[in-house]
Amino acid sequence: MADELYLENIDEFVTDQNRVVTYKWLSFTLGVHVNQAKQMLYDYVERKRKENSGAQLHVTYLVAGNLLQNGHVCHKVAVVREDKLEAMKSKLSTIASVHVYSIQKALLKDSSPLYNTDYDIVKTNLQHCSKFSAISCAAAVPRAPPDAPPAPASAQGPQRQRDPDDASALNGHGPPAAKPPPQQHRGIMGMFAAKAASKPQDTPKEAKAEAKEAPGVSAASSKPPTKNSIMNNFFGKAAMNKLKGNSVPEQRKEEKEVVKPSVAVAEPESSPNSVAEKPGKKTESARIQQKDRKSKTKRADTSDDEEERDPENVKKKRKRIKQLQSDSSDEE
Amino acid sequence: MFSEQAAPTAQGLLAPPTAEPPTFPRVPVRGYSDCSQPFQLGERSFSRQYAHIYAVRLAGMRPGLERRARSRWGNDIALRKLSELQAGEKCCVVGTLFKAMQLQPSILQEISEEHNLVPQPPLPKYIQASDELILEDELQRIKLEGAIDVQRLVTGTILAVYGSEQDDGRFLVEDHCFADLPPALPWNGPSSDRFVLLASGLGLGSVSGEALLSTQLLVDVVTGQLGAEGEQSCAAHITRVILAGNLLSQNTQSRDTINKAKYLTKKTQAASVEAVKMLDEILLQLCSSVPVDVMPGEFDPTNYTLPQQPLHRCMLPLASAYATLRLVTNPYQANLDGVRFLGTSGQNISDIFKYSSMDDYLEILEWTLQAGHISPTAPDTLGCYPFYKSDPFILTECPHVYFCGNAPQFQSKLLQGKEGQRVLLVTVPDFSATQTACLVNLRDLTCQPITFSSFGADSED
Repeated sequence: MADELYLENIDEFVTDQNRVVTYKWLSFTLGVHVNQAKQMLYDYVERKRKENSGAQLHVTYLVAGNLLQNGHVCHKVAVVREDKLEAMKSKLSTIASVHVYSIQKALLKDSSPLYNTDYDIVKTNLQHCSKFSAISCAAAVPRAPPDAPPAPASAQGPQRQRDPDDASALNGHGPPAAKPPPQQHRGIMGMFAAKAASKPQDTPKEAKAEAKEAPGVSAASSKPPTKNSIMNNFFGKAAMNKLKGNSVPEQRKEEKEVVKPSVAVAEPESSPNSVAEKPGKKTESARIQQKDRKSKTKRADTSDDEEERDPENVKKKRKRIKQLQSDSSDEE
Repeated sequence: MFSEQAAPTAQGLLAPPTAEPPTFPRVPVRGYSDCSQPFQLGERSFSRQYAHIYAVRLAGMRPGLERRARSRWGNDIALRKLSELQAGEKCCVVGTLFKAMQLQPSILQEISEEHNLVPQPPLPKYIQASDELILEDELQRIKLEGAIDVQRLVTGTILAVYGSEQDDGRFLVEDHCFADLPPALPWNGPSSDRFVLLASGLGLGSVSGEALLSTQLLVDVVTGQLGAEGEQSCAAHITRVILAGNLLSQNTQSRDTINKAKYLTKKTQAASVEAVKMLDEILLQLCSSVPVDVMPGEFDPTNYTLPQQPLHRCMLPLASAYATLRLVTNPYQANLDGVRFLGTSGQNISDIFKYSSMDDYLEILEWTLQAGHISPTAPDTLGCYPFYKSDPFILTECPHVYFCGNAPQFQSKLLQGKEGQRVLLVTVPDFSATQTACLVNLRDLTCQPITFSSFGADSED
């Protein structure tokens, strides 16, 4: 009969393929409700034992119920081997459920095969892991992709001290575009202000088109070298060493004039995030840009719509990391 | 609470397959609002000194304490500042407590060259018989002695002492009082059974795989895969899961790679990477079935100082696709179905445990409620953000459920306050050690532990 096909299936899994067949595994494999899977397993065990009492079959059960422990009534959920089933049932004051957990040919020493089986089957079915479950949740709907970046209001705050990784989420709403221009008109940096100010204004428009970023960047990278000498004159050796010491242009706090040695995370990851606050940093970052032999988009520029640039940035980041690795192995 | 309802159909699945097994819809969340805004830090600036937080703490709690003092010792008692004290006059002073402990780890001592000390190893408790209590207010400080339990109290508590100044300059305490429970919130709870599952200390990424099956069983019970029909229908009444910290195990925190040579560590990955991937998968299974609130804990990848900010959603790409996942701060406060929850991942309680003679986590939890402050030892011995406008850890409203995560064992108590407050105190045990989580019934504020077990090579029971 068609209905009895599952018996043959289970037979094949257990005896021929020598698998540990848990209810969850069976439910996903046969595409049935978990409760049906449990009942199928039970049915199989009963029939197999009836026809052949010496069958090589070991069963584990799930028992749940109330247990008095340490003075309070606790709800205990336990996976037990068949030989310990009655003992566990007698320990519980009220039994809430009993059902077959798994069937396997060999006697299990511990529960890791059970865990592994379940883990594997869930891993291959992650997207619909609750499909055959007995509870359905109406609220559990995947978020629509444009909604993905949450709470932009709160995102603006942490933006300043962001990690390199959270480019897409926090910066999705481009507030940094507004920040750089006021920062740049400071004292000595004023002379850079003109060039730098033009860049952030350009970049919001450029940000949409990835293609345009490359020429924008190459323009940027050509400008800073000429500034290097001017910077040298202004700062003197000590400050230049300090700037050089900054191996990676990283998270900036706008208020801080001092260029601190920043966290040495892979450089490319920082690039979409740094805000163009000070041309001094831009110079240094541009220098590093050149060091990297790769023109990275808008290192010192505003980070606008990171999401659109992200896939490409991610790819670029990966390449960059590989390059760095090859560097270090070259040195060895 | 599960078992009685589930008992009738307990053995129902020990039968041949029936036609269409029922699917139970999850009880929808009736009302949820997140009240943790005070704990969410926007822009952070660490350029301020920590003295400000004590100043705002004292200013914020002083009115309440003065009211309490008047109601306790009479309306006509003299409330004095330390600068106004006169020797021998019985009066009441409100101030911040400071406990001078010899064993308290001090960074200055460690780096001081004249001592040449090896840094002190971490001790379970730092209290000693020679500790002293000092009361400080805005301008002065004075040593306390008398009817006050030095061992029990911790630095940072705001309290009111009643007594008089002695000739030797110390204050002789006759009685003292705390801010006591804050005013009660109106009760608006559900009329039918609704459960919230509290779990903490999942400890993923640990070397031992003991608790992994138990974690899977927990997820399966909540998502309705495990259990007979009765139990599954009860599990459908679980409206929320709150994971109170330490989702990753302490093992993921090792930073040996920093000390090793680069060529040895080139391809190694931080242990937390694998652990977070596992966490993502577990959260995905949970989120596809129930709303989940994830609080960070001591070993989780977020900031160290309190209040800990939510984990970032980029670490959980699979699970954060679901709207049911909420990444929240530590401490966390929210209204679930009209019941106010407030809880932490346990760092505040374990810090008080280290510096006080109180041994019981539940007792400490109750004491913080009586003292009116979630974490008095911050910023002295527990890292804290330098607040300067207001101290968000002051308890202004009495929650209905007050919990702390990562406790050594499960304990719960229903506390009745003098002004009609009703609080369920729950110490959520560390799941990786105890395989126990807690089920809170919102209807009647009861709590039941739920334990998971499997069989190991050495099956004890």
